[in-house]
Amino acid sequence: MAGPRTHRQKEIRRHLWIYGLITPYIIIAVFPIYWMAITAFKQDPDLYRMDVFPLWFHLAPTWKHFSYLFTDTNYGAWIINTMVIAAWVAVITLLAAVPAGYALARLRIPGAENLGIAIFMTYLVPAIILFLPLARVVSMLGLQDSWWALVLVYPTITIPFCTWLLMGFFKTVPVEMEEAARVDGCGYLGALVRVVLPVSIPGILTAVIFAFTLSMQDFLYGLAFVAPGDQKPVTVGVPTELIRGDVFFWGSLMAAALMVGLPVAILYNFFLDRFIQGITGGAGK
Amino acid sequence: MTLSSSSGGPDAAGARAAAISVASRARASGWFRSQTARRLSFGYLLLAPAVLYVLLLVGAPFVFSLYLSLSDANVGDPVATFVGLGNFRAALESDVFYIALQNSIVFTVVGAIFKGLLGTTLAFLLLQPFWGRKFVRGLVVIPFTLPISISVLSWKWMYDSQFSVINWFLSRIGLVGSYGSPDWPVWLGQPHLALAACIIVNVWRTFPFSAIVLLAGFTSVPPEILDAARVDGTSFMQRFRFVVVPMIAPILLIGFLFDTVFTLSDLSIVYLLTQGGPANATKILPVLAYQVGIQAGALGRGAAISLFLFPLLMPLMILLLRNLRRREY
Repeated sequence: MAGPRTHRQKEIRRHLWIYGLITPYIIIAVFPIYWMAITAFKQDPDLYRMDVFPLWFHLAPTWKHFSYLFTDTNYGAWIINTMVIAAWVAVITLLAAVPAGYALARLRIPGAENLGIAIFMTYLVPAIILFLPLARVVSMLGLQDSWWALVLVYPTITIPFCTWLLMGFFKTVPVEMEEAARVDGCGYLGALVRVVLPVSIPGILTAVIFAFTLSMQDFLYGLAFVAPGDQKPVTVGVPTELIRGDVFFWGSLMAAALMVGLPVAILYNFFLDRFIQGITGGAGK
Repeated sequence: MTLSSSSGGPDAAGARAAAISVASRARASGWFRSQTARRLSFGYLLLAPAVLYVLLLVGAPFVFSLYLSLSDANVGDPVATFVGLGNFRAALESDVFYIALQNSIVFTVVGAIFKGLLGTTLAFLLLQPFWGRKFVRGLVVIPFTLPISISVLSWKWMYDSQFSVINWFLSRIGLVGSYGSPDWPVWLGQPHLALAACIIVNVWRTFPFSAIVLLAGFTSVPPEILDAARVDGTSFMQRFRFVVVPMIAPILLIGFLFDTVFTLSDLSIVYLLTQGGPANATKILPVLAYQVGIQAGALGRGAAISLFLFPLLMPLMILLLRNLRRREY
């Protein structure tokens, strides 16, 4: 009886230690989101006072800031813009990255590894070096002042990353499946479309998620290329359009931030390990 | 040609058989060669869209930015003339450029130290098995998964000059006076505090990334190797030094380089918090390049400023490239 009990006590003590040590990290990580959330639901008189405990409500919570966003600002349009941009970016990314990833993983192209790394490295050429020349490209194509500019430039981030990711993924598909398909009379294209793609749905979905989350991380391109208020993606519209002059409407700003941030953070959370695997080069190994 | 050598056989049937086998081998190798050609041309066809996209919208713009930086290109005036290294010289002769360069370096180095510390300690905690670990991990990575421009807004509100919740807390525990007293910190309004405030947001955003990369490194070390080393009579420190560290070093380096490239080239935190102020205290190269290139419309000078980032980034990228290749083989 004594044995397991001391073991259990030891385990409990160990857990208390770990929780105690890790709590500050959790608070640091989560507090800004908590602050965002509580601000979004507070009435204005409750917001701008320093005499009471600020981390809880002193007047009834309100939806006012949320409804204001949809009735008095372009918030709805920004959300739709973001969704449409993400959909186009995902389509373009898949059309380019799926074939490229497959070719690099499977078709024994001379120097495939180096070519794959070269494509991946372009993911690292920072936007701050490319945005001025791209501004010229965008205006030459007549895309300035519309979100189509972002449909054009976001794939420069997502294609390199997703090609690399899918290259790793296709390497894990058993070669025998393709060989069997080819023996059965499929050409290379037939084997790709009928055999490899169906078993690669998880990898392709992951690539779609990254096309979405990586474009959501952009700020510079959206800021530089899209000026009209109703054309902006939500990640640029919220910080640039909802702040007018020196007046900050923190309630609605935080409501806007919360509604975008939370879903994206949760979605990204599930795919974070794939992202880390991808960039550390062990994609799909 | 090979027929003549094989026709030296005793009878014609043997010669015929040899001829047939040679012919079929030749046909087979022709078939093989055409298969290879077909496979490769199919491969290049599949590669073409991605390669073209990247060449046209990353490669060409990069070359174009070199050209821009050598010209007096302007937003209003599409006809640019060649000015040689004039833009670079102008940058090097302006004080604000050196301030921005220095701030960029401070921003990156100080940030790296703190996210390294926080990330490493967090990784060691998350390495322990405990109840609810997955959930805790999900919570602590939130800063990294939030869209950057969104989370900066929350910080801007926390740094508010009057209603800062950070100051409320500090004054409650007695570290600063109440609002209006001289030691009330105005986070985004005082030069040193403003730079610190920007670094804090950068550290907050990326320390989970450091932790997760480190964690990925630790879990990639196969336990069998550690067991084998233990059987060989090594101490914990020896195993750490000679087994764990060499195995995770490439991953760590890759994570570190990634983060450095993104921190050096990130505009959003500073742009949204301070726009480089007060009095250039938080001006970093990306913000300067944006302000000169887009807001003032001097494309050529802006391009020159952003290209100054390249010599800073280049060695990092080469290191990264070498490490990725080592990981691949």
